[in-house]
Amino acid sequence: MSTNAPGEVSAGIRENVSAGIAEDPHTSGEGGGLDRDKLFAARLHAARVRPYLATALFALHTVESPEVPTMAVDRHWRCYVSPAFVDRTPVEELAGVWVHEVSHLLRDHHGRGDRVARERGLTGVGDRLRMNIAADCEINDDVYGDGLVRPRGAVRPGRLRLPEGQLMEEYLSGISLGPLTLDLSWLDCGSGADGLERAWDLGPEGADGLSEQERDAVRFRVAQGIRARPGDTPRGWRRWAEEAFHPPQPWRELLGAALRAAVSGAGAGDDYSYGRPSRRSAGVPGAVLPSLRRRPPRVCVIIDTSGSVSDEELGSALLEVAAISRAVGGRRDLVHVLSCDAAAGVVRPLCRAEGIPLVGGGGTDLRAGFEKALRSRPRPDVVVALTDGQTPWPSTRPPCRTVVGLFSRPGMSRARRENNPEYVPRLPPAWARVVEIGSASTAR
Amino acid sequence: MPMPMPTPAPTSQLDIAADLLTLLRDSTTEPRPDSRLEALTLAVAADLPVLLWGEPGIGKTAALTQLATALDLPLTTVIASVHEPSDFSGLPVIGDDPATQGVPMAPPDWAVRLVRAGRGLLFLDELSTAPPAVQAALLRLVLERRIGALRLPPGVRIVAAANPRSSAADGWELSPPLANRFVHLQWTHDHEVVVRGLGGTWPRATLPRLDPGKLPEAVNFARRAVCGLLAARPTLVHRLPSDETRRGGPWPSPRSWDMTLSLIAFATAAGSDRDVLSLLVRGTVGDGPGLELLAGLDRLDLPDPEDVLADPEGAVLPERGDLRQAVLDAVVAAVRARPDRARWDSAWAVLARALETGAPDLVVVPATTLASLRQQDWDVPATVERLAGTVALSRRADRAAVASEARR
Repeated sequence: MSTNAPGEVSAGIRENVSAGIAEDPHTSGEGGGLDRDKLFAARLHAARVRPYLATALFALHTVESPEVPTMAVDRHWRCYVSPAFVDRTPVEELAGVWVHEVSHLLRDHHGRGDRVARERGLTGVGDRLRMNIAADCEINDDVYGDGLVRPRGAVRPGRLRLPEGQLMEEYLSGISLGPLTLDLSWLDCGSGADGLERAWDLGPEGADGLSEQERDAVRFRVAQGIRARPGDTPRGWRRWAEEAFHPPQPWRELLGAALRAAVSGAGAGDDYSYGRPSRRSAGVPGAVLPSLRRRPPRVCVIIDTSGSVSDEELGSALLEVAAISRAVGGRRDLVHVLSCDAAAGVVRPLCRAEGIPLVGGGGTDLRAGFEKALRSRPRPDVVVALTDGQTPWPSTRPPCRTVVGLFSRPGMSRARRENNPEYVPRLPPAWARVVEIGSASTAR
Repeated sequence: MPMPMPTPAPTSQLDIAADLLTLLRDSTTEPRPDSRLEALTLAVAADLPVLLWGEPGIGKTAALTQLATALDLPLTTVIASVHEPSDFSGLPVIGDDPATQGVPMAPPDWAVRLVRAGRGLLFLDELSTAPPAVQAALLRLVLERRIGALRLPPGVRIVAAANPRSSAADGWELSPPLANRFVHLQWTHDHEVVVRGLGGTWPRATLPRLDPGKLPEAVNFARRAVCGLLAARPTLVHRLPSDETRRGGPWPSPRSWDMTLSLIAFATAAGSDRDVLSLLVRGTVGDGPGLELLAGLDRLDLPDPEDVLADPEGAVLPERGDLRQAVLDAVVAAVRARPDRARWDSAWAVLARALETGAPDLVVVPATTLASLRQQDWDVPATVERLAGTVALSRRADRAAVASEARR
């Protein structure tokens, strides 16, 4: 509350309200303890320069805690603040810390930390510190600038000799506790950053925490705000907004599911028929039982051998297709491979382990490949096209199921778009099931 | 006269084993809130087919057993993946004169028993590993409740279980029409529950009870929530999953919205909390539309700006900052919509109260907007003095903006 004489203030405000804004030239401190005004002025600044994070910033419940080294969050969206830290940090840097802490929660670093710990068997306190550092790297490489100051001492990937623009999980494997991280061991963003409970945490039973549903609702509203105004937000946040509620799955699973659905659908592979009596018939006289008829699915893989697809990517995708078709009952000799650039090559069976000669390079026209694959006898049940998508597609739906494995090329298509604003990427047709390959092989 | 001690009859090894087994099975239960089990119970009570997604061995069957006991229904388990389509659509049995009598489709024994009992819980396990033809036959069972010539009585409730795509190496995914008929619930294990349970104490969920007095209110609330959202967002009514990652899961359609409506009504009548409702709604129409609906419900919960203006000193503002700001914004917007002197003064009182009871930065934007609504002949109310701190705060943030620019 203000300390000056009431008459003076009222005059000042009256004057200013008439002008459209009220103001009080005196700063009002609480005296001792936490300087709430400084802390909340910083939050106001943060919400002004990052309007799409305002909901999340305001949803945080602040808890004064002298035990915390700086500022820290828990998984219930409480923000623990050290009064001493607020005193010694300028407002503009505090705003950066606010955004940093809320980013840990929005990006679910505690949940992802727990998941990584389970998957990789990380149990030590040191591992959680590495997770905190990795999570900090993920945040610090793209949230500052543009009106927001990076707080002093914020760890950046460059300092640990790591490239920028990666996810926490990717940074984690490159971080080891050693000379480079020695002066980072004070770093502590709380259980919201790495999943490890801290002494100061109020826990799930404590007051003013957000329930799981409320946390999801806040994250959803922020993601929606970002998606509604994609132009104003940095790329890292847009990517987060797209994936916040649908984390990308590894492409192997998706390709497998698409292929399995394609080869097992009606008309391909095995199905029930009344053509021949079932073996169970003997036990049920009078009843007509259908039997399972197995016809191994024939899969034809069209490979885009234009210069843009690397041999390594092709090799792994091809092995995947072969493995899946074997798993659904296909024989190896029923998987055929056809390499295709501007003209289609020869359809060859994938019988031998040494693989197939991939000839080509230059431009692509997959229409020739589709035509050739569909003319081959016996006709394939499923056509799988592995391509980077820079090709014309057949104008009509082919008479068999189609799966497109699309090698993602975010960098390339962006370069083209920037050079030529008229450029429209050629999207795969709607009749194909499209799986992006290589997009989320490591991260989840 | 001392009698010789009677020698105990020699106990067989199997009897000793039985004793050991009895000791092992001797466990107690403790009450523990479990939102997933509560969601499952509500969906089953609402007579909607439920699909439990979970890794093998996670305790789905155990949960079903508990549910059957709680609802006092006999449990029938059918492993879908080891059956043939005809086990669900009926076996054609050729009689004496098919031309006049037709070929009846004979139902399997478990279905006959279920129909004769008139009530029960039908558990279709391993749905995702059943071949597509079996899934197609199940579609009819789940939707039309028919097995061959039999019709399942209304007292029979259906629950299915499936393994997620990542763990079912040889599994098929659910086709979108089948997926759309289920309430999808993710079943995972809770580390603490498992450890305590193996130690001898399993959780006992207190199952929701529907309150007969709340029924009309619950239906009203559910209709308002769903219709309010769909009127504003027509594109949410029907949206087939287009993206590979979302296949086989819940998606919005008029059918699943209808299911959502029932579930909201049931959860309201049972007095369940938002976490349970969230599981049910997101499991029926998918994450995106479900979260939008829940956000709409949160807004329905906020105090009406007109009520707040009518009694500024008595108004209860939400504790959470983002909700509080939503209320303050709504109050200022209400004044802007129908400006008069008394409402303007009253809004200042609301802001002053917000400043005294919560974080000051939330008040800055509404205060600036409210100040700009002042008209020539309106005097500044005395309450404005209580807001002096916000101006300093706003100034300080402005200075931080300048400092940030300078440090680039």
